Amino acid sequence: MRRLATLALAFTITAAACGGSTSTGGTTPSGGAADMSALAPAKDVAPAATITWWHAMSGVNGDAVKKIVDGFNSSQSKIKVEAIFQGTYDDLLAKLNTAIASNAAPALVQVYDIGQRYMYDSGQVVPMQAFIDRDKFNTSDFEAAVINYYKYQDKLQSMPFNASTPVLYYNKDAFKEVGLDPAKPPVTFTEIVDAAKKLTKKDASGATVRYGFGPSIYGWLFEQLMATSGALYADNGNGRDNRATQVVYNSAAGKTILDWWKAGVNGRYFYNPGIDNDGAANAFNAQKSAMYIESTARMRGHITTIAGKFELGIGLYPRPDSKPATGGNIIGGASLYIMKSRPAPEQQAAWEFVKYAMSPAVQAQWQSDTGYYPVVKSAYDQGPSKDFSTKYPQFQTAISEIRDSPQNRMTNGAVLGVMPQARQRTQKMIESVLLGQASSQDALNAAVADMNAAIDKYNKANP
Amino acid sequence: MKLGTVANYALLVVGSIIVAFPLLLALSYSVMSESEIATFPPPIVPAAPTLDNYATVFATIPIGRYLLNSFVVSSAVVIGQLLTASLAAYAFSFLVFRGRQLLFFLFLSTLMIPWEATIIPNYMTIRTIGWLDTYQGLAVPFMATAFGTFLLRQAFLQIPRELWDAARIDGATTFRFLVSTVIPLSRPALGTVAIYGFLSTYNQYFWPLLVTNQPLMRTTQVGIAQLRFEETLRWGLVMAGVIMVAVPTLALLVLGQRQLIRGLTAGAVKG
Repeated sequence: MRRLATLALAFTITAAACGGSTSTGGTTPSGGAADMSALAPAKDVAPAATITWWHAMSGVNGDAVKKIVDGFNSSQSKIKVEAIFQGTYDDLLAKLNTAIASNAAPALVQVYDIGQRYMYDSGQVVPMQAFIDRDKFNTSDFEAAVINYYKYQDKLQSMPFNASTPVLYYNKDAFKEVGLDPAKPPVTFTEIVDAAKKLTKKDASGATVRYGFGPSIYGWLFEQLMATSGALYADNGNGRDNRATQVVYNSAAGKTILDWWKAGVNGRYFYNPGIDNDGAANAFNAQKSAMYIESTARMRGHITTIAGKFELGIGLYPRPDSKPATGGNIIGGASLYIMKSRPAPEQQAAWEFVKYAMSPAVQAQWQSDTGYYPVVKSAYDQGPSKDFSTKYPQFQTAISEIRDSPQNRMTNGAVLGVMPQARQRTQKMIESVLLGQASSQDALNAAVADMNAAIDKYNKANP
Repeated sequence: MKLGTVANYALLVVGSIIVAFPLLLALSYSVMSESEIATFPPPIVPAAPTLDNYATVFATIPIGRYLLNSFVVSSAVVIGQLLTASLAAYAFSFLVFRGRQLLFFLFLSTLMIPWEATIIPNYMTIRTIGWLDTYQGLAVPFMATAFGTFLLRQAFLQIPRELWDAARIDGATTFRFLVSTVIPLSRPALGTVAIYGFLSTYNQYFWPLLVTNQPLMRTTQVGIAQLRFEETLRWGLVMAGVIMVAVPTLALLVLGQRQLIRGLTAGAVKG
């Protein structure tokens, strides 16, 4: 009965929010009118003594997670958070599915960016906005680009945790070698082409020893190129005003991207590592390509690996020659969801932990340990973050990249229930163009048709 | 004749190099530094071998504990499978009872049920009886095997019926015949079931991930997944982990190879 009431309430709120939001373009409205407090447990519910948090952070990032949890557990005596590594993002989601079916889900889970719509449709999540509204929690210090990615109908569904964007990585030594200014990396498609042609080096036999530019065929990079083109990936405001009913990237912007990519590979000044992100990164490390595009999260790894071999430069993500004013980059990474199936005290405890994790000091340490963006801006004033900036001055470009991105539906990024599939399908699409199996427009149309069928199926299955 | 032998061996050597190449490359990468792996083209033999990657594996995850867990669980599964499969196979091959054939085919048909379909019910059962994060939760669901039963039944059918008659005439009980005659005669098949059961349990990933939450109850495959960092792949580290996890299974294969081949082909001709 209570669930039904909640559901009805959620529906009313959704309907109310629909009316208030604008569609494409312009700036994102700052929050709808409806208050979501009612979805959160009452403020006087005492937090549970222990809660579990499932995450997918291993290695260095796993250690950083442990640091946050230990810090929280020793900062107070009421709540103990137990962080459990559950494999990759996909493994974690698979385990979550099984756990939900038998009511064994934890109070807090970390889910990757593209799982957003899926989590929403599962109906298993207490929106983060509910806690924010209830506590009048101030989010003005939050990085707009980061937080907007996790909003649906301008309501925050989950708390951004690890955030990154793609940037242009380039080899400064190679730039100097061919007479390019290492302080001025190329930004537009044509500038990239010109630089790539100069940077491409052949040996006596005519074999290419160094390519100018070598991006992996990675669906995320295509999504980002659409965003810097100021173009939509899906309808209904990239699925943020309402659930998307189709993808729309077979537009002129999509064609421009593919034509550019194809011409570069055909002209042998773009390296094509295939659908292989690690391959593209290794080619850059090995100086087989002088530029490539990837997530900022890889920056520290690159710096360690190439130490002493060449100097790393970081530039803005490529965009069309017209540099559309509405274009910018989308945030990637993962966020934290509070699960509805846990009792109110556990939800309360999870929220307490989330608040702690978002404090400037913790965020600064997190940035310094992992290389992800801090979610709150004042983290940059903290010691660990300052040290990080001194150590990795290149990161400054990454910060200005998201600060300078206008906030609109295009740069908020697309949300689709079938986003993992969509990403794979665009990869196949790009590959078919680069291998000369289809023209750009045909490949785009084919991918869009496939995805629209998949979206339709998903939407029917999740009414 | 002599030339033929040489040619044969040459061919075999080439073949084995091709087959072993991925493993040897993994071994080579595991003792290479990250910057050496990153050069182009990637070297095959390390210029300056280092054990740093192994040290990092030890420092990053409790690999010893994971190996122990996997060993305990896999051994328990092997013992369980041998017990249940040999008893079931014995019933299906020597004992005569109504509906035996039907029951056997019903048994076999469980092989057709996709594993994904049973995982949630299994998980709910284990959770309900409070076996999450325990060895029994990891092992018990796999202690009965239709495949092993089938394999053993085929092997048991090879045993001449006359032995059964003779044993009965001499007054051996049904159980006595199983223990003193059937089991000793079917050692290759039992060995196959044991090795197969061990390896498939050892290589499980999703089930151990599902039923364990405590880091110390995790098994090797889940454990080495932690060496795959979400953003940057460190090949040397991953390969060091893979080698450490692969060594026990390789040792088992080498030791049990004869049994495995004899067992798998045992019922092949006459069934």
